[in-house]
Amino acid sequence: MGVLNIHNLCKSFGGTSVINDFSLEVTELTLCCLVGPNGAGKTTTMDLITGRQKPTSGQILLRSDEITSLGEHEIARLGIGRKFQVPAVFRDLSVRQNLEVAYSREVSPFKNLFSYRPSGLNQKLEEILTITGLGGRVETEAGTLSHGETQWLEIGMVLMQNPEILLLDEPVAGMTEGEIEKTVGILNELKRTHTLIVVEHDMAFVREIADVVTVMHMGALLAQGSISEMEANPKVREVYLGDPED
Amino acid sequence: MPPSRLLKHKGRPRHAPDAQWRRGIGDVALGNSLSADIAPIANALILGLSIASIWLIAALGLAIIYGAIGVINMAHGEFIMLGAYTSYALQSFFGLPFLLCIPAAFIVVAFIGLLLERGLIRYLYKRPLDTLLATWGVSLVLTQLVRLTFGSDPKYIAVPEMFQSNVQLGFVNLSVLRIFVFALTIVLVAATAFLFYRTRFGMQVRAVMQNKEMAASFGINADRVYMLTFALGAGLAGVAGSLLGVLAIVLPTMGTAYVVQAFLVVVVGGGTILGSVVASGLTGEFQSVLAYVTNETFARFLLYLLIVVLLRFRPAGLFAPAKARR
Amino acid sequence: MTNLYHNRSAQWIVYALMFAFLAAIPLITNDSFLLNQFATYGVYGMLAVSISLSWGFGGILNLGQGIAFGLGAYGMGMTMQMQSQDPVSNPIPPFMLNNSLDHLPALWSPFQNTALGFILSLAVPTIFYVFFGSLMFRARVSGPFIAIMTLAMLTALYTLILDMQPYTNGANGIAPPAPLKLLGAEIDPYSVASYWIVYGALLFVTVASKLITQSKFGLVTQALRSDPERVRFLGYNVASYETIVYALSGLIAALAGCCLVMLVQYVSPAQLDVNFSIGMVIWAGIGGRFSLIGSMLGAFLIQGGQSYLGDQFLATWLLLLGGFFILVVRFLPKGLAGLLELSLGMIGAHMQPKDASRPQRGAEATSKAEA
Repeated sequence: MGVLNIHNLCKSFGGTSVINDFSLEVTELTLCCLVGPNGAGKTTTMDLITGRQKPTSGQILLRSDEITSLGEHEIARLGIGRKFQVPAVFRDLSVRQNLEVAYSREVSPFKNLFSYRPSGLNQKLEEILTITGLGGRVETEAGTLSHGETQWLEIGMVLMQNPEILLLDEPVAGMTEGEIEKTVGILNELKRTHTLIVVEHDMAFVREIADVVTVMHMGALLAQGSISEMEANPKVREVYLGDPED
Repeated sequence: MPPSRLLKHKGRPRHAPDAQWRRGIGDVALGNSLSADIAPIANALILGLSIASIWLIAALGLAIIYGAIGVINMAHGEFIMLGAYTSYALQSFFGLPFLLCIPAAFIVVAFIGLLLERGLIRYLYKRPLDTLLATWGVSLVLTQLVRLTFGSDPKYIAVPEMFQSNVQLGFVNLSVLRIFVFALTIVLVAATAFLFYRTRFGMQVRAVMQNKEMAASFGINADRVYMLTFALGAGLAGVAGSLLGVLAIVLPTMGTAYVVQAFLVVVVGGGTILGSVVASGLTGEFQSVLAYVTNETFARFLLYLLIVVLLRFRPAGLFAPAKARR
Repeated sequence: MTNLYHNRSAQWIVYALMFAFLAAIPLITNDSFLLNQFATYGVYGMLAVSISLSWGFGGILNLGQGIAFGLGAYGMGMTMQMQSQDPVSNPIPPFMLNNSLDHLPALWSPFQNTALGFILSLAVPTIFYVFFGSLMFRARVSGPFIAIMTLAMLTALYTLILDMQPYTNGANGIAPPAPLKLLGAEIDPYSVASYWIVYGALLFVTVASKLITQSKFGLVTQALRSDPERVRFLGYNVASYETIVYALSGLIAALAGCCLVMLVQYVSPAQLDVNFSIGMVIWAGIGGRFSLIGSMLGAFLIQGGQSYLGDQFLATWLLLLGGFFILVVRFLPKGLAGLLELSLGMIGAHMQPKDASRPQRGAEATSKAEA
């Protein structure tokens, strides 16, 4: 049994069904890429896993615990971190403050009223700054970072939470070649200690990082396997890779 | 120093909100030839419709501005007040008949709204909380300007003779003025709905509402749409002002009493025209029936409480349009 | 970038200077009227701090702070009124007799005990804020709607107090005949003692609020101000953070209400007037809502200006205030404190051009800021 198990997930808005009997098993310490054409239901799946939306039917299990009905913050506390498609950082706070907020080992508002220097913060901060390479930008206001830096900051924030599973929605969208290369390095480093689910369109990037590729189409699972298997799969070629570029 | 002096700035002359309604509602009298059981309830229900038309006329302009542009216009109450003063001034200084004061108030206040939109609001479209604050500043300025010009004493708009009689309507005796306000409200709502759902301008407004960039790429001038919508909303507030002014007294501070109520209608209705109609109908009837059971002030308290609880369960109002995805 | 404005030590020094100056006032003057007036400014200062805490740091634009302020003030007014009533021979305040009540209402009887009266004056508004706040924040009501709902609630309460004439004396309000008695001693509102009480309350409120804003809690509220959803996905229960910051600001406002009634021996629905509550927001907006001390100075400046200039030209004064507020919202969203931040930032960049460009290692920068 995998670390994250999705069973027969369905979601419809009004009468339109967006996720249609979707099941997925994610193995621990692997990087699973979720791909599919626009409207395949990738982001909705992310929303359902993280509790942002509630499924119409179906189950989501973290190991053997059902998390389907929990709130966003409860799911996050259980160890599922998420990076959004549109980078979501606190623009008017500094990089260090952003990371400090994300260090959510203690979430009780009453305890945090009297907390000034949470234990282990500096060590974790140093570690994440090294991974993301933002060491020189700690005091910079997050709103003034470049696009790539903002993406890394958000990845760093998710890491500060110390999650078991990371959900990354289009982490390299809008990045330059050099920035993508750096991100590949970060993700390949991360998958030694974390389970990752990455939604991505850039097939070259997927090839660099994916252990498993899951192809979604019309809200359902179309195929799953290694990147080369997927590229060879005629069904996948038809709906998604259609045009065999690179 | 006596304590009251310290508090002077807080206790500025401000009439009780109820004074607004007195003249309008007091003239609904019970017919005496009826069985005592149904009469008071029927009376309360008809009175409710009457109140609803006041809530609706006060809220209509606000609903358009909020629904189409997303601007929380705290100066809406002062637009109403300006409409009332425009009618008052035209009637008493130039002898303009009341029926002509109404369109005049529309034009004058719409023009003031246009100036405000061009001079201030358009710079704040991306900061909703700041528009709320800035328009509050505007309301302060408008109130004080009117106070400096006309003084703090109440003014009265003369009721035209044709509206002074009463009509027996089933159980209740209603003044012609009330019926006129009710009818004009229906006409204005229908005209506004027609404008927004059946004309080219309305289509442009709705396109801009859905997606400003997309609408712009189809050649719709979003800036102009916003400007005209804001002016239209302001103009409707002006009409509301001349009607409310003739029903009650005209004061520089009269806007404050209406703005909260108008907002509640818009918020409960979710910012659409139909939503506002239903919301004002519901709130008017609730207010009237609760007032029949308790008293007018306590009814208002209960009503506000009910609305707050309703928003707990429907935070976007009763008829909220679908929310955009992140 | 080094900006002195963001230096915590510098901030504390400014606070210390400010309170040292306020402490010097009773040494400079012994005009009891003036002292009473300055103490009233202390009350406004507390209100400004409470608004800065909820709006500046928590992102909750609360247009109904008069709810807590008024409830606190009424609690204090009732306590003081009951101090002048004899529980046996004369338990009923005169205005109730005029409204033909023949026994003390249950609502009033706890206020016969001064200590209980104090506790209720602070607890009732705070608990009300906890309930009302959790109602709004759990429904994830958006910012502008919160403003409208707090405003509606304030108006509702205002009407209720007006309406409950036999219990509240309606629009006339309650004017306790004697000053507050504390531990057997009478606190003359025009004495130095009452100045020090308000000073102490303001000092306590300001230091506590400053510590809160610097704590992890304060950091989380500053984060959720701009993106509550992101904070939720980091594992925090956003609604409870919002409710607590809202309730804390209510507690401060309630304390301010108590202090005001001690100073003026009078409470009326004017404390719940919509314009006064929005006035508090204007103080914080002009002074700088992201700065506690900026908001406080905004309150002093505006209320001071109002009582010295506005007595003769109230309409003109309010006109200018409204106009100035529009300008601040349009051009200076961070208020006058933001202007200071900007100039200190420019001076800092000008004085140490090398320092700004020097890359800093994380831990080094951390220890520097914490020092």
